[in-house]
Amino acid sequence: MISAIYDLALTTGANRVIRGARIEHVCGDPNLGPEKDYAYGMRIVRTALEAVQTAVTGPTLFDPMDMALEREVSHAS
Amino acid sequence: MRLEMGTFPVHTITFGSQTRYQDGHLEVDKAAVLEAVQHDPRIATVDLEIAYPGESVRIWPVRDVIEPRFKVEGPGVTYPGICGRSITTVGEGRTHRLSGMGITEVSSVNWHDAGGDYVEIYLDMSGPWADLLPLSKLMHLCVVVEPDPGLGNEAQNDAVHKAALVVNDQIAAATRHLTPPEREIFELRQVDPTLPKVVYIWCVHSPQAMSGSPTAFCTATYGLTQLTPPWFLHPNEILDGALTGPYRTAFAMSWTVANNPLLLDLYRRHGVDWNFVGVIALRTEWTTQHEKQLMANQAAKLARQLGAQGALLTWDAGGNEFIEVVRTIQACEQLGIKTVFLTSEDDATDAAPTMLEPLPEADAIVSTTFFKTRTLNLPDMPPVQRVIGMQQKAIGPLRDQLVPTAGSLPPPPRYDDHYGFTTLSCIEY
Repeated sequence: MISAIYDLALTTGANRVIRGARIEHVCGDPNLGPEKDYAYGMRIVRTALEAVQTAVTGPTLFDPMDMALEREVSHAS
Repeated sequence: MRLEMGTFPVHTITFGSQTRYQDGHLEVDKAAVLEAVQHDPRIATVDLEIAYPGESVRIWPVRDVIEPRFKVEGPGVTYPGICGRSITTVGEGRTHRLSGMGITEVSSVNWHDAGGDYVEIYLDMSGPWADLLPLSKLMHLCVVVEPDPGLGNEAQNDAVHKAALVVNDQIAAATRHLTPPEREIFELRQVDPTLPKVVYIWCVHSPQAMSGSPTAFCTATYGLTQLTPPWFLHPNEILDGALTGPYRTAFAMSWTVANNPLLLDLYRRHGVDWNFVGVIALRTEWTTQHEKQLMANQAAKLARQLGAQGALLTWDAGGNEFIEVVRTIQACEQLGIKTVFLTSEDDATDAAPTMLEPLPEADAIVSTTFFKTRTLNLPDMPPVQRVIGMQQKAIGPLRDQLVPTAGSLPPPPRYDDHYGFTTLSCIEY
């Protein structure tokens, strides 16, 4: 699940949660201009595609702003 | 900060040859009031109509209901900052109010252009919908107003709301030289230092995220509607109209804000049961988790700086705004501030939680029934003899069908008694 309010997604039990931009534009940021908006959106979607191929043991947060696309492991308590 | 509130109870309203108040009777010089409104060239049409409780009347749609208030002594004006009014800090001196009535803004203008938030609040003056609303027990002096259709949405909002405020000034100023039949002094005087300190955290919606505009019309602090960090307000500022509606329920109007029973009870029992330290107004609908958490942290920090041992929390919205609201409760509790939450509940029938994020720190909750009107299982409201306002409304997913507003209509989509005017609840916790 891609969500701007990612804690809520984690506590409701979504296994793979991708940190989205904002509630009104979850998969990008129009304020960045068309090119950067696209790049940011691609990064979020790629993170989501990586996440869906990653084994997890419980609700896990994936942060697209992590440059190497490595998981930011943050288990919901 | 000391405010004397003079109350003039209104029992009858009629149109007459001059605007004056005498012994509970308000006479309104309709021509003079309309002329004052039409002084604004942005106004295309305007009329005044009166509605009494018990009449077979529907007011459709209701954009706002304003209690007539006028500043007789002291700095500033009532309803400051709105539609270009003075932003001088209010809350001192003497203010007159006309109780038992509202100035009701009726217009087809939507609060903003972004869609979804159509103004579909209506009032019935009799019948099952009227029975559920404190506003239906008031007399309404309706300002039926339409702006120049060539204007943009924000200018239209400014024009029609200003029209209602012009009527407020015209009506309430009629009491300027009169002695109020009822007087009450509002002052946060020094009290017994052993009394527990209580703060009221009053969460109010901002339309900025939905509308995309920092100046869209909505619930305002000194006329400002944008997303701003928490405000610390003296309750007297609120009594003078520094915090105003409207938002999308009949309980989020300027009248209900000004007459919030929680605020008045907190104030009247100051020095008796507690030490009321003031109001933190927290704007909601921030759009990232970080912003929501930051506002919660800051509101709680401010409460602690004020020495609060207890906090009372209300909100006027739904959906994601719950996050900053409930996290403010969490942040307060983590700082040792005991918090009570007054809230409606969401519809549990579709398996969603009745509260979006049920945090364990929110352990003292007063339920004020359901958020959605449909959960109340109300019937469609019966036809009425007279409609004040628009005679037709758009329905359907494309809003391309018109039905008469005098006919049988479902109730507006949201009920949500934000401040505890009524006695409905869902479950006792």
